[in-house]
Formats: sequence, C-alpha cells, structure tokens
Amino acid sequence: MKMATLMRLPTATPGRVVTRTREAFHALSPSPSPSPPHFVEFCKGGRRGRRIIRVGVKCNSNSERAVNLGPGTPVRPTSILVVGATGTLGRQIVRRALDEGYDVRCLVRPRPAPADFLRDWGATVVNADLSKPETIPATLVGVHTVIDCATGRPEEPIKTVDWEGKVALIQCAKAMGIQKYVFYSIHNCDKHPEVPLMEIKYCTENFLRDSGLNHIVIRLCGFMQGLIGQYAVPILEEKSVWGTDAPTRIAYMDTQDIARLTFIALRNEKINGKLLTFAGPRAWTTQEVITLCERLAGQDANVTTVPVSVLRLTRQLTRFFEWTNDVADRLAFSEVLTSDTVFSVPMAETYNLLGVDTKDIITLEKYLQDYFTNILKKLKDLKAQSKQSDIFF
Amino acid sequence: MSTSPSATTIAAAVYSKYNNINTTLSVSGQINTTFLSYTKKQHTRSSSVQRLPPIAAAPNTRDGKDSKSNTQNNNNDDDDDNDDKQSVSLSLDDVNPVGLGRKSRQIFDEVWRKFSGLGQISRTIRTDDVEALDALLVREGPMCEFAIPGAQNTTVLVVGATSRIGRIVVRKLMLRGYSVKALVRKADEEVVELLPRSVEIVIGDVGDPNTVKAAVEGCNKIIYCATARSTITGDLFRVDQQGVYNLSKAFQDHNNQLAQLRAGKSSKSKLTIAKFKSESSLDGWEVRQGTYFEDVVTSKYDGGMDAKFEFTENGAAVFSGYVFNRGGYVELSKKLSLPLGSTLDRYEGLVLSVGGNGRPYVLILEAGPSGDPSQSKLYFARISTKVGFCRVRVPFSSFRPVKPDHPVLDPFLVHTLTIRFEPRRQRSDMVNASKNQDSRSFQLILEYIKALPTGQETDFVLVSCSGLGIEPSRREQVLKAKRAGEDSLRRSGLGYTIVRPGPLQEEPGGQRALIFDQGDRISRGISCADVADICVKALHDSTARNKSFDVCYEYVAEDGNELYELVAHLPDKANNYLTPALSVLEKNT
Repeated sequence: MKMATLMRLPTATPGRVVTRTREAFHALSPSPSPSPPHFVEFCKGGRRGRRIIRVGVKCNSNSERAVNLGPGTPVRPTSILVVGATGTLGRQIVRRALDEGYDVRCLVRPRPAPADFLRDWGATVVNADLSKPETIPATLVGVHTVIDCATGRPEEPIKTVDWEGKVALIQCAKAMGIQKYVFYSIHNCDKHPEVPLMEIKYCTENFLRDSGLNHIVIRLCGFMQGLIGQYAVPILEEKSVWGTDAPTRIAYMDTQDIARLTFIALRNEKINGKLLTFAGPRAWTTQEVITLCERLAGQDANVTTVPVSVLRLTRQLTRFFEWTNDVADRLAFSEVLTSDTVFSVPMAETYNLLGVDTKDIITLEKYLQDYFTNILKKLKDLKAQSKQSDIFF
Repeated sequence: MSTSPSATTIAAAVYSKYNNINTTLSVSGQINTTFLSYTKKQHTRSSSVQRLPPIAAAPNTRDGKDSKSNTQNNNNDDDDDNDDKQSVSLSLDDVNPVGLGRKSRQIFDEVWRKFSGLGQISRTIRTDDVEALDALLVREGPMCEFAIPGAQNTTVLVVGATSRIGRIVVRKLMLRGYSVKALVRKADEEVVELLPRSVEIVIGDVGDPNTVKAAVEGCNKIIYCATARSTITGDLFRVDQQGVYNLSKAFQDHNNQLAQLRAGKSSKSKLTIAKFKSESSLDGWEVRQGTYFEDVVTSKYDGGMDAKFEFTENGAAVFSGYVFNRGGYVELSKKLSLPLGSTLDRYEGLVLSVGGNGRPYVLILEAGPSGDPSQSKLYFARISTKVGFCRVRVPFSSFRPVKPDHPVLDPFLVHTLTIRFEPRRQRSDMVNASKNQDSRSFQLILEYIKALPTGQETDFVLVSCSGLGIEPSRREQVLKAKRAGEDSLRRSGLGYTIVRPGPLQEEPGGQRALIFDQGDRISRGISCADVADICVKALHDSTARNKSFDVCYEYVAEDGNELYELVAHLPDKANNYLTPALSVLEKNT
C-alpha cells in the first residue's frame, strides 16, 4: 500500500534504479517506521496541503476584507521578509537588501543569544519559529516579498522545519496576500528523491507552484563560504582534512553573488514563476578543491580520504535502527556522491536573462586566493605583533 | 589526591606553631614545593598503575578510527612511563577515567562530525567557528564586499537619520563598518526602532547651535540629509539654511578645538590673509591706477580716474573711486605676508567677504620666485559682487594666466594680491538693477580675505534638491533656503559635496543608470537608495570634494536638448561609478 502511494508521488519521476533501491530497502527494513514512510507522508502532505490551501483561499478573502478596512496604507514594495536570515546565505541576502535600500525584516528563532549583527546592520528582527505555525502570521504583516533561505539545522529532524514549517509559511503567505515568494532549492533535487532534504525541497517547489503565489524558485549548487570551514581553515591549522574520492563535481558560488543575482531576478517581472538555477563558473571535485587550497596556502594538507563506499555503508547501516535515522538522513548526500553527477549548469542563458556580466561572478580560485592572502597577511601581522611585544616586556 | 594540599597547609600550620611568624612564609613556601614534588611523584606512580585499565575500558570505541586514536594514546603513555620528565606534565585529568572518557568522546565527536559532514549537502559551520569566520567573511573583514578601508576609524554624523534617505544612509554606513552618530529630534521608541542598534543617537535640533555642538563631537564627517517638513518659511530657514550653517560652523569649531589640543591649527580651518578691522590693517595696501592702452587723444577729454582706500568712522575699510577713462583701471594691491609655515599650496582658493554697490572686479595674483620680481607671472579671475554684503569664493583653479602661454597658477608661488576695478560695459538689466548709477564709479567695503584649505576628501555631504517636484507656489522659497544653505557650506572651508537629486522615489537602488550633471537640466526622479549610495561613496572619493551636482535616473533627451552630453553611469558592485561620473564635472561649484 505504501508503495502504491509512493508511485503516485509527484516526486516519483526518478528512474527505476532509485525505486529499486527503495524496494530493496523496504525488503531490508525491519521496522515499519524508518525514513521512507516520512516521504509517503510528505506526498500525502502535498495533497493535504492542497486541501489546506482551499482553507487558505478562504483566509485570503478574509484578509481582503482586512485590506479594505485600511486602504490608505498599501504595502511598500521595498519591504521584505527574510526567513533564515542568520544562515550563510541569509545574512548575505539581508546585507544586500539593506544596501539596496529595502526595509528588511528577519524572521529569527527565539534564542538566548539573538542575532545582534542583523540589528546592527539596520534590519528589524522578529521572533518566530517555523516549527510553530502560530507564530508566523504576525511576521508577515506589511510585507511585500518573502525570501525564504531557511534550512533546518543538521541536529534536528529534517521534517519539522523544511517541510512542515515551509508548508505553513507558504500557506500563510498565500493567505496574507504576499506578493512575491522567493524559494531556494537544491540543484538536481528532482533527480535524487532518495536524499530526504532534496526530496523535501522538490516537494516544496511543487507545493509553492500549486499554491498560486507569485514566486521564483532558485536552485543552488554549493556555497564557496562552506569551503572555508571545511578545507581552508583545517589546512591552515594543519589539522586533518577529510575528503571523499567521489567524482561528483560541484559548481560552487559565492553567496554574495547569489544574493546580488537574487535581487536582480526579484525585480524582473519576466522571471515571475520561473525556475532559475545558479551555478558557479566551474565545477570542482573535492580533491581539486583541496589541491587548490594547498597551493594557495603554500603547505601540504593532511588529507584523510574516505571512500564513498564507506559513507554509503554507514548510511545503510544507520538506516536499520530508528534511533540512528537522523544520522542516516544526514549521510544521505553520499548517495548522490556515488553517482558521477556534475552539479552545474550552463549559466549563459540565466546571465542573459538577468543582464549580468559573466566576469562579475567571482571564481573559486579568486575567492580562495582572496581568503588566503588576507588570512596569511593577518597571521603575519599577528606574529609581528607578538614579536614586538616580546621585545617590549 | 585531594588530601595533599590540605596536608601541606597543616604542615605549615604546625611549623608556624614552633617558629617565628616572620620566617613562616618562606619556610612554608619551601615545604609547599617539596610537597608538590612529592605529590607529583605520587601522581606518576599511581598513574602508571592506573593508566591502562580506563583505556581498555573506554566506552566510546564505537568506531575504528577512534580505537586507532586510542592506541596512539597508549603509545604515548608508554613513552611517559619511560620518561619521567614528561610525566610531570600530566595532570589529574589525564588519569581520571571520566576525563579520559570525555576526551575520547571529544575525539570521536570531531571525527564523526567530519565524517558525517562528508555526507551532507551544505555544511553548517559549528557555532564556535562561526564567530571567527564571521569576522572575516561577513562583518568587517576584507572578504566582505561592502568593506571600505578606513571605515573603522571614521565616525560619521548623519543629520536627519530618520528621513527617507537618512535611514538608508545609516544602514549603508553600518554595513561598511563606520561608526555612526545620528542626530534626531526626538528619541521616540519608533525612532530608536528605526535605527540600527549600535548607532549612537544624539537628540537635538539643527536650528539650535548648542545641541549641534554636542552632535559633532568626535565626528570625522557629516552627511546632512535633513529637510524641512513643511514649506513654511520659518521651517525652511531653520532646517535648510540655518541648520547647514550651524552644523558646518560647529564642525569647524570642533576641528579647531581638536587642533588646539594638539597645539596646532586645524587643517580644515581657513587662513586669514587680510582682515580689515582697524586703521593699521590697511597698511601695506597700495592704490594704483593705470590704463590698458595709451590713447593720448581721448585721455585729454576723459574725466580721469581716482580711487582711495580708507578706514571710515563706522569701522569699515572702503575702497572707492571712479574710472572715467576708456581702458583705465584702479587697483588695490598688497604683497602677501603669510604666517610662518603656511603656504598657499595647501589652500584651494580664496574667499572674500565684501560689501558695496555690486560691481564686478578682477582679482589678480602675481606668482613667481619672490627674490626676482621680473619673473612674476600674472593670473586673473573675474568676480562679481552683490549690492550689500556677500562672500565670494574664488578657487585658485579659476585663475587664468594673463599671457595664455604661461603655465597654470601654482599657489605656492603667489606673492601679491590685487583687486582691480575696471569699468565694463554692462548689460542693461544690470544697469537697471543698480538704479541707473554710473557703472564707472564703485565702492567696495572689504571685511576679510581668507584662503580655503585643500584636502583629499569631502568633510560634509549635503543632500539638497534640484527643485523638481516641489509645488510650484513654494518652489522659490524652498530653493532660496536650500541655496543659502549650500552657500554657507561652501564658504565654511570644509570639503563639501552637494548632491541635488531629482524627486525622490521609494525604490530599491542600484538598478537603473544614473545621470550626473551640473546646471539644472535634469528632469527625472531618483530612488532614495541611490542618493544614499552616492552620499556614502562620496565620503572617500577625492573627485567628490568641493563639487555640487544634480543627479537623476537616465532619460531620453527631449527634442532640441539632445546636444547635451549626459553620461549615464550604472551603479554596480564591480565598478565605482562615482569617480568617473564626477571627474568630468567641474569643481568648486
């Protein structure tokens, strides 16, 4: 029965190979509750979502009445809400928006240490939690555009924020008459339903399209900023760097460029309802990135290469037990790594559509070079300072 | 183990019982050390006994990697056994099974984090890394695309921080790492909410010199984007005219004050060349007359000319006279004696405070090696004055050589200043304006002549307006107040940038090409964000210093107007549009 629902999935487009693995997996699965049933639920959720949208439409008429009550204060097109503003991409979106003169509101989870830097830049911070839908509507009042770059933290179950929270947010946005919704998805998410996060993103894309909101979906490949913590810092600190031997190539992109292109797309009425994919200028394997870092840092890295097969094995093992399911979800990307995919798209058409010059997009070489020259200079300064103080005392 | 410290104290106490109190300290110190070395030995001995079991029983050997690291630990421990010196550095934690467990747990976590990281799509950086990376990538570090070198040490006062432009200006400054002070009228909750949290809020009114004084304290630059809320003349005067004057004055005072603390002179203050406040201040000025050409025949019938420079009873230095000769002129000249250490090359121009009946004059500078007057070259600039008192700003760049083949004026070499009056045929409307007075007679009341300092950057950015989009009935008044404000800024000696935007629109900036122009030709609006961006960019742009310009969105020229060459500049991250746009515009306008 579960399989039947599975086949009716909108996401069930992928090739047979995937389905077969899933079948095999079901055969192996000892308990009825490991991860795949979640996805069945997602699909149900998709349908349920549509049903709820009808409710949302009802809400919409309500809100129209509300609008009629106060026709004197139209929503300013410069008011935007950024969801996930503290993240790697989110903060760049906020900065860009502020710099371009938008009034930015940031939806941030209530936390002991609030995101001070957002307020320092001049954004308004509102507390809400996507996993608590009742907190969402208040944050959307007076907002013209919602930019959604939120993703759940790795330590929490993927479903709460990324699916249920997003569904609630989209429904709420629809009900409250948000005029544009920008959603960040993952490149190739339609081709890898076996990766929970990617399947969720794909389902959300569909849900957003079905909701009838004026929207833009932007699929991303990888962030250059992530490479710093992953490779550059460990190499400089002479710690071991972990990499895989996967042949997968990813076209990393600077989040500042992503933010810039996003706002160009946002203002372009022709792009409404479209699906854009942003990829960096070149696709890199992990090994290539490490080699580049080594060259720029001028020192050899202590590389620990983990074969992808080990990753896969761990994932398969952890899927057996319910209490390790989150772990399995986290390792899910290894499934993608084994395939010889290239996470990249030709960008010429997108650049053309947006009217952007290719040479304005920063390359990974340049990005890392900037990073290393800056950090090496800083280290040198620090050393010089400590030397000076030695003499001093 | 925990008993050993208490044992020492007891021993010390016992010792002190039998000994003189004075010696106790030193002796007990000795005892302490011996005890310590003893306990250390105890440590090593007990640890060597205890060491193996906890590792064997380490509960966290879930992973092969982890056990590998444990065996490494074992090896280390063996080394310790052999080497007594190294074992001294071991602490209690090293042998504590709980501590070991924690340690191996940490190692395991680290390994697991890296391992699981490989299987993830996007990496979430650990919280402890975030701070360090943020500093470099996001906040003030060089990797941040907004970072501006020098912004850290610059404090900018934003006047009118809650205005449409001001709000964005404040945000832009914060993003770039400036320290920002905001002058607001009232610190309501609403206002405070509107501004970034780390902005220093100063409550005050631009119309009140006292509050303004407090606001400029510690500031390096000012961006003035306050504007009158109504078109009532009183409001206009207070905000657009007096406000600018108050701020520029307070800022200059502040600079001077700082300079006095250093026992020097502010580099932004003007240099007094001549101040005519007493009889003696007229010394050194000589009146001369001459003609451009010798016309023997006509000079016989001409009425001649005469001029005098005198200090009147009511305390004014008046240069007056008449020239009825064709081609004749009278002039007032002085060899400049500058204070020691100051040379005119550090100044940008002259400002004259004069009154009189509004005749045009010619300022002549003689430049050349001071020892050899025969090598002097002459440079001139025409100035016009108004009836009544006015201040005239004459930049050195507007002086032209009398002989066209001479090089441009080098202010360093200037040694003589001359004010010349020559009767010129005047336009009929000017004749009417001067009530049919004979344009060949003149009266010039001199108050002072000062030199305006030069500098690299602008000190004061003023957002004025181009006069478009104001309701026609009040336009004159608004423009008058704005222009008066601009003028008071130009004469203050501060480096200024005056931005006159077209009608403001609430739109995101950076998406449309802009036009920079001088001379009231623009016809389009501009977004507040673009104006804010220009203000912020102008702070460190040497081409923006001492310039006034109109700015608006690009437009298609109307018929008959397309002759004007208006270059559009698209603001973008990649190019600094302001420098090329402004470098073609004229300075000192």
